[in-house]
Amino acid sequence: MIIAPTNAVSAEVSPVDVHARGALLLLLASSLGWLVLSGILALIAAIQLHSPAFLQDLPWLTHGRAEALRETAFIYGWAANAGLGIGLWLVGRLGGNLLRALNWTVTGTVFWNLGVLAGLVGIALGDMTSLPMLQLPRYVQPLLVVAYAAIALSGVLAWSGRRVDSTYASQWYVVAALFLFPWLLTAGQMVMLWAPMRGTLQAIAAAWYAQGIWSFWLAPLALAGAYYIVPKVTGRLLPSYEFAPLAFWVLLMAGGWTAGRALVGGPVPAWISTVAIVAGMLVLFHHMVLGLNLRVVLGGTGNALSFIRFGLAAYILSGVLNAIVSFRVVAERLHFTFAGSALDQLAYQGAISTLFFGSIYYMLPRLTGRTWSSGALIVGHRVLFIAGVVGAVVSLTVAGWLQGGYLLDGKTPVADILGNIRGPLLIATASQLVMLAANLLLVVNFFQSVCPCRTADASSPGPFRQPSAVEATAT
Amino acid sequence: MNGPSNSDPRIDQAVVTDDAVVVAHEKLLGKQPDEKARYRLLPLNLLFIFSGLIFFGATYLGRYAGYFDPKVFDETAPKATAAAAAPEDPIEKGKKVYATVCAACHQANGMGLPGAFPPLVESEWVVGSEERLIRIALHGLQGPVKVKGADFNSMMPAAGRVAGSGFNLSDDRIAAVLTYVRQEWGNKAGPITTEKVAEIHGKEGDHKPWTAAELEKLP
Ligand code: HEC
Repeated sequence: MIIAPTNAVSAEVSPVDVHARGALLLLLASSLGWLVLSGILALIAAIQLHSPAFLQDLPWLTHGRAEALRETAFIYGWAANAGLGIGLWLVGRLGGNLLRALNWTVTGTVFWNLGVLAGLVGIALGDMTSLPMLQLPRYVQPLLVVAYAAIALSGVLAWSGRRVDSTYASQWYVVAALFLFPWLLTAGQMVMLWAPMRGTLQAIAAAWYAQGIWSFWLAPLALAGAYYIVPKVTGRLLPSYEFAPLAFWVLLMAGGWTAGRALVGGPVPAWISTVAIVAGMLVLFHHMVLGLNLRVVLGGTGNALSFIRFGLAAYILSGVLNAIVSFRVVAERLHFTFAGSALDQLAYQGAISTLFFGSIYYMLPRLTGRTWSSGALIVGHRVLFIAGVVGAVVSLTVAGWLQGGYLLDGKTPVADILGNIRGPLLIATASQLVMLAANLLLVVNFFQSVCPCRTADASSPGPFRQPSAVEATAT
Repeated sequence: MNGPSNSDPRIDQAVVTDDAVVVAHEKLLGKQPDEKARYRLLPLNLLFIFSGLIFFGATYLGRYAGYFDPKVFDETAPKATAAAAAPEDPIEKGKKVYATVCAACHQANGMGLPGAFPPLVESEWVVGSEERLIRIALHGLQGPVKVKGADFNSMMPAAGRVAGSGFNLSDDRIAAVLTYVRQEWGNKAGPITTEKVAEIHGKEGDHKPWTAAELEKLP
């Protein structure tokens, strides 16, 4: 079904965009810096898996630290900045009023990034917490909470001060992420770092936090962009949209409970893992509705949609695989193997990064009022990046499967196992290199596009077509 | 959908306004009266699938949740695991405890996982001082530790019958599993007796997880 044209006043070039340009470009530019840094670290960590001697003499780049640095730069650097930039833009646009408190956003962004930088230095010096997804040393964490609040403030104001009462799925997801992350971060810090719980409880809290980063924060931000851009570009109503609220609530309610699957077979009471397996199945409903809602993406064309299409496929696939892998029979073989890294790559690069890229490609021309500087670079980025993701996921899955077999039979010494799976690990390294190269294309294109030195396009009336005019020509 | 003439590959054109997106979808949720009153019935098959998932979940929980008992670690354990067994060979008994408790981290072959779980094979902590080894098993270990020249910095939960323990192994099971690891995989160290474990357990009570530095002060 096609969305009926309305006689609404909001045109494609919205004053919201011009007003928020500086603050949002700052967030995007910072995110890209971290993206490249985390790509370089990922490459180093990947090389060290098959060539342990690599950079071994640098104490701040041992495998454990390189891995912690990579994860931190990716989550708190790239994903946080990009996700917040996209999220604020979405609630601003959909709320219909100019974003307020943007100077808070700018200040918050600066301090957030300084905090992350200090944290990375701390990790390099050996101060990491050893908690998955929360490696940042304890001393930078309070700063991050405050900086986050400052960034998110304008999003909250845009939500509460929105012009119309009706709301749309993108807004729910962004607002949930804005509110839930600070809760996750403070609660997680409390029970794991400031007043640590003991033994088993600690392991459970750590798993809950790591899952929360996905279910309460990054996944909602990534989906918000997809929910907005798909109908905007295709002009179609989302099928089965009646179920979107249920899918949203299922993610928020059941998502956190899936945490325990990381602990299957571990030192926790049986019910924790069992509840996690069940929650993983329930969350499949969220994935199913998402697929039904956004399947119109298949009919669309354009850069943003091409990224979003792959990102959604990866998102849904990773939900299904996670549900399957959590069952104890499968978990026994794949636990603590590279198969876990394969799933991480699928979820964080395949789904989160790709969906963010889609949103950024759509959003930037609105912010700058100009097109991207090069279309070829966009295509190059897409082709290379997707090839890298597929390569990494497939090779690590193979490595994990073989490794799981060796570990179970228990006859092969660990050192030999790593030797036996060297082939797939080399391919994984090559894939990291390809992803890094792909992202560099984005960075070049981004800075060329925003550069004030760029000469204005010949096309005089600005790059945008008026939506209503298109409606007339389309029929 | 793309307009034919002026489609520039460097930009994604939108074909509808923001308001149109919000308003059109809000109608689908049935919150705003539609002039033509075209409400759609919630598709039954989706509701059906959702109920199916809930039903599956409830059944699965009932079967495998271990009665939500914090002390049940094996989801297939029958409710009453009382049946007192006849005295067992400590090595056999230790092997069982190892497989259910320690192997999850230190692996069945005792080699651990590089960077995450230290090895027990030829570890100076395993074949060395009884005093230290028993304390590690009873109360856990945290913080930096060197094993066979490699650095680890993580946390092992308490396994003994102490506050905060996830396993609650009795002193004789602790003795059995330690005896087992001290003679398996080529390790050659003497057995650990239940009396020795009980003595240390009595002395240290519910000590919090040890650090390597604390242990190194012990004989
Ligand atoms: C939850 C995972 C886990 C379980 C279960 C576990 N350990 Fe550990 N173990 C560790 C970790 C992690 C360390 C290193 C702790 C540190 O870095 O301070 C360790 C260290 C040790 C050490 C000292 C270092 C070495 O390798 O010699 C011994 C001995 C040991 N464990 C024995 C056992 C025994 C016996 C059991 C079973 C009763 C067991 N562990 C169960 C995770 C575990």
